[in-house]
Amino acid sequence: MVKIDCHMHVNGRHHQWGWSGNDCIIEAADKLGIDQLCVSIPTVRGMPTIDEVRENNDDVITMMKRYPERILGYCYICPGHRESIDEISRCLDAGMIGIKLYNQYKIWDPVVYSVIEKAIEEQALILEHAGYPTTPEDWVDQPNMSHAGDFVRIARLYPQAMLIEAHIGGGGDWEWAIKQLRAVPSVYLDTSGSVIDEGLVEVAARELGVNRLLFGTDMTMEGGVGKVLAANLTESEKEQIFWRNMKGILDRRA
Amino acid sequence: MIIDVNTYIGHWPFRQLRYNTAESLVRRMDKHHIDQAIVASIHGILYKNVHDSNEELAFRTKPHLERLIPFSTLNPTYPGWEEDLRRCAEVLELRGIRLYPQYHGYRLTDSASVELIEAVTQLGWTIQVPMRIVDRRQRHRWDLAEGLKPGDFEVVFNRFPSTSWIVLNGLGFDGKRLNSDANFLIEISRMTSVLQRNIPALIQTAGAQHLAFGSGMPFKVPEPALLKLECLDTSEAIKRRIAWRNVAEMLKLKASDGKKA
Repeated sequence: MVKIDCHMHVNGRHHQWGWSGNDCIIEAADKLGIDQLCVSIPTVRGMPTIDEVRENNDDVITMMKRYPERILGYCYICPGHRESIDEISRCLDAGMIGIKLYNQYKIWDPVVYSVIEKAIEEQALILEHAGYPTTPEDWVDQPNMSHAGDFVRIARLYPQAMLIEAHIGGGGDWEWAIKQLRAVPSVYLDTSGSVIDEGLVEVAARELGVNRLLFGTDMTMEGGVGKVLAANLTESEKEQIFWRNMKGILDRRA
Repeated sequence: MIIDVNTYIGHWPFRQLRYNTAESLVRRMDKHHIDQAIVASIHGILYKNVHDSNEELAFRTKPHLERLIPFSTLNPTYPGWEEDLRRCAEVLELRGIRLYPQYHGYRLTDSASVELIEAVTQLGWTIQVPMRIVDRRQRHRWDLAEGLKPGDFEVVFNRFPSTSWIVLNGLGFDGKRLNSDANFLIEISRMTSVLQRNIPALIQTAGAQHLAFGSGMPFKVPEPALLKLECLDTSEAIKRRIAWRNVAEMLKLKASDGKKA
């Protein structure tokens, strides 16, 4: 079965994720039957300079060129930079598929509006880091991390935007997140993250519909594939999650 | 042949679980070609008098003892654990013990715990200790248990090297820091074969004789752990060790897949 991983990362000069050499990503993908990986290099803590943002994106472009059939790139943006829109144009022109936002601003912050409007104009998707940890200490170092309620707020303002809430298995209260997202049919949910709880994918499919779910790993490779395989869904529904939904999104821009 | 060292039956008060009876666990095992599983009670973790859950577990697993290996739950800070342990072994015929220091408010090196560990070692039983039950980031506000750390196990492996230990939901171990003479297994469900490759790293530093397959059912789905076995870039003999042979030797099970291990 074809698989497009909608949420993955590669090492770059500013960020190493805990493996040696980006070739291991392809080796891992080969073992798990993942055909394409949509990758980014965000700055995960603090505010990056625009130079750091550009260098992160340059490192993604390098990987796209090295594995043109396997690696698709997201343009990481820290929306507060006035150069952000130009950077999005540069990256999309270089063949990137969409925009990656991290935890620098809530997704409903007005500083993000111009990025969302650019994404709508370009028919590009936005993958935003997200979570709803129930532990206060997990909010301390990312106070502006968006959660599902934040996606509801922005999706009502921009229902035409193609927004992906990242990693439902990223360690927060996934049941809370799924119930929030019932209110906004335009938001997609990616299945990535280290949490491989029984029922996670099926509850998301039942409450949101399989057409809103996108397979991802976010570096949890066996877990990412395994939790979709485990779901009590039809083969056709699993195909939607593994690749058809994402391909449909990518085709809008093609 | 696969033996799953990390399964449960019962209820967790903070999330609905499915496939959480002995019958549905065995059906899940059938589906995934898992031959045997060590199983303990979930809700017993939160009973004040945990021994009641041992009686329930013995009753629920009795029709499935060819497949399920029931492990007791005991709390060394609660009165009467010595008699409860005797009943678990002699009356209920349970086969080992799972401890939850993070939920019962003690450290493995506390005196009460030491007494229990020594008594269990005398019985020839294996002690299982989960590093955590659920991901702390999604816990219920009343679930205040902190995960255990690799260092907690380094200490007890040194202090009780002849005790049989299985660490469940293990992660973050540096094999070079673990007592190579100790009798321990680390269960793989939170580790990886690819990318971060912490299973191959632990094979290299601690040895394949210290790893065991586990799924975490019914909290977790078993497919990821099965994929880890499948994707592990090593010999079939080492895969068999992890899949069943190490734990079969530890528990002295008459297990075999008919192949030379």
